[in-house]
Amino acid sequence: MTSTEKIPIEDIPQWQKDLDQAGFVRRFLLGRRWYGADWWFAVISGLLLIFVFSMAIFPGLYAPYDPRQEVGPGQLAPGELPPTFVLVGQKDGATELDDLIGEDVRIGIVIGSESAQVIREVAERREEELKAEGQNVMLRPRPERYDTIEEALEGLSNDEVPAVIGLKDEIEPLLAAHPGLVIGEALSGNIQKPFVLGTNQIGQDVLSRVIWGTRVALLVSFSAALFSLVVGVPLGLIAGFWSGGLERAMTLVMDSLYSFPGLILAIAITSVLGPGIMNVIVAIAVLYVPTYYRIVRGQTLAVKEELYVEAARSLGARPFAILTRYIFPNVIPSIVVIFSVNVADAILTEAGLSFIGLGLPPDTPDWGIDLASGQNYMRQAWWLITFPGLMVMFVTLGFSMLGESLSEILNPRLTEN
Amino acid sequence: MANDTLLNIENLSVQYKTRMGWVSAVDNVSMEIKQGEILGLVGESGCGKSTLGKALLRINPPSARISGHLWFLGEDLMARTDEEMRQIRGQHISMIFQDPMTSLNPIQRMGDHLVETILTHEPEVGKEEARARAAALVDRLGISSTRLNDYPHQLSGGMRQRVMIGLALALNADLIIADEATTSLDVIVEAQFIELLKELRNEFNLTILLITHNIGLVAELSDRVAVMYAGRMAELSDARSVFKETLHPYTRGLLKAVPNIRLDDEEELYMMGGSPPDLVEPPTGCRYHPRCPQAMPVCAAEPSHFLEAGPDHFVNCWLYEDIPAEYADKEPGE
Repeated sequence: MTSTEKIPIEDIPQWQKDLDQAGFVRRFLLGRRWYGADWWFAVISGLLLIFVFSMAIFPGLYAPYDPRQEVGPGQLAPGELPPTFVLVGQKDGATELDDLIGEDVRIGIVIGSESAQVIREVAERREEELKAEGQNVMLRPRPERYDTIEEALEGLSNDEVPAVIGLKDEIEPLLAAHPGLVIGEALSGNIQKPFVLGTNQIGQDVLSRVIWGTRVALLVSFSAALFSLVVGVPLGLIAGFWSGGLERAMTLVMDSLYSFPGLILAIAITSVLGPGIMNVIVAIAVLYVPTYYRIVRGQTLAVKEELYVEAARSLGARPFAILTRYIFPNVIPSIVVIFSVNVADAILTEAGLSFIGLGLPPDTPDWGIDLASGQNYMRQAWWLITFPGLMVMFVTLGFSMLGESLSEILNPRLTEN
Repeated sequence: MANDTLLNIENLSVQYKTRMGWVSAVDNVSMEIKQGEILGLVGESGCGKSTLGKALLRINPPSARISGHLWFLGEDLMARTDEEMRQIRGQHISMIFQDPMTSLNPIQRMGDHLVETILTHEPEVGKEEARARAAALVDRLGISSTRLNDYPHQLSGGMRQRVMIGLALALNADLIIADEATTSLDVIVEAQFIELLKELRNEFNLTILLITHNIGLVAELSDRVAVMYAGRMAELSDARSVFKETLHPYTRGLLKAVPNIRLDDEEELYMMGGSPPDLVEPPTGCRYHPRCPQAMPVCAAEPSHFLEAGPDHFVNCWLYEDIPAEYADKEPGE
């Protein structure tokens, strides 16, 4: 409210009037002023989570590559282009791959370099093109291995091989010593653009794996949290509403479950159930049932004593109606908060389980698995663990932030202070 | 005003189980509530007024043990099953609670409370009709029916209390138990509330059991007054006799303890000696005798009986009862 002056009604733009009609939107925007920082936290984490959800639902739209396929050279840093390979030939000899058609053509490479793969890829591509033009030729030179690029160029000068493939940057300074040689066709593999987050040790795209990993992480953590909610909340309501022997027995079981350290219990359950995504979900769900049970039971016990419940009884409401219409809705705010915190926790637990190699098959694009395999290459390739780790952090943080700010906003006892 | 008995309470006792043993919160209380009257039930805090009120609806906590008979329109409520009792609550007997701030479900709209109450007991009434009835009722209670969609926190204390009355009226209950219904309201709202209650009583011929410790409110509203002490009935008569021709020493003490705005500096407010008894081990004989200025030897030994001492004036005190021969010649203090 910038001023109290009356603005003539015709000066108010139509969209503002429409906004006034849309009560929910308006209230939502006004909440900014009312709840302050909590509103911003909720909105920011909400937007973050919407983005993450869209990634989980449509990973194909975001991910440039198949997460399971080896799409480039291994351990390529984020933004780095694969090195350019060139064909070196003699001045009067072959300078293009097309010149090397034949059954027993050999080409010099350095042992252990990517050259062999580049030859294969380029040759395959070229063969396809030629086939489309109607020529059926064999373009597959056999690699002749040398220990160093100097030796390879020496061999080329001595006519041991018709051509050598190597890195352009390495070859250029050596050409002065071999006046008879010339750099011919530049050969690049299938990779035309850099990988945004680099590639991992076996040449899979880190970005695609991180994006597809969202799906697994959210699927497991959501199903687990939902599963434990569906089990824990009714049990808690029943135990809180009808106290007695059953309630004591259930509380004993839940408390003993609760007293286990979370990850240890999950490890135990997964090792018993065996691998598989469903089993991981069940293992994590069992972990969180006591949380819902305890909170809901406590809340039910408290709400049951409220005067409005007694008033409802004095007006003849049925016990079931009291439970569903008076107690349950008043417990929902706590459930929402535990749910979001549990999802965050379940993501961590799931990543932890995959990290120690339990549960999911090893080729699954999953943050925990990526972290586990990436930690061996931490010194050479920082991006292997950084990005899955950041995703775990952001998504966990997003859920926790949403949970906390929602609890501030939804809990009337807190807002009154 | 008809003089038919609506509810006849016969030897009603309520005991609560605690770690210290059984607490007899209401002990052997008998009284009648007549059709169309306002019966004030007064007494100190903890004397069993609210327990008695809840026992009429049988909504005491499960740890309570209730015995006696509640003859409601000729039928014994104590013999009813829980399901039958549930039907009676709200429809025939309903209750208005002490704290209007917390006696409405905070996440249910005001109108939904009324609609739900109507539909619980009369499921054949459609939702639309129930809503129309709720709107009419709220209108009658002086709240604009546009506020049916408001949540309880959007209403003032007085409005909420009126909604509570509305809930009690929604099904034309025969008996309304108002348990400290005005205690948490300020005097202005309380006055409006009393006025409204009087109007409604004339309009709907309500029978109200007014449970309160506010003697002024009872004097203003009640036709008859019942005084309770430590779970027992002390005195019961029409309001005028109780205030003008007080019989029981406890009632006298209670009346003297009411603050008066004209009280000047020299006069101190009367303070009754002692404190209410421990109900786990109540005093022998008359429960008031340790604090009674007129206590006699018989008072500590034998409980007195709730007898008619004057026309329609019941009192529970040895002063108005024939003392058994073995105590007759003893002097007070012996």
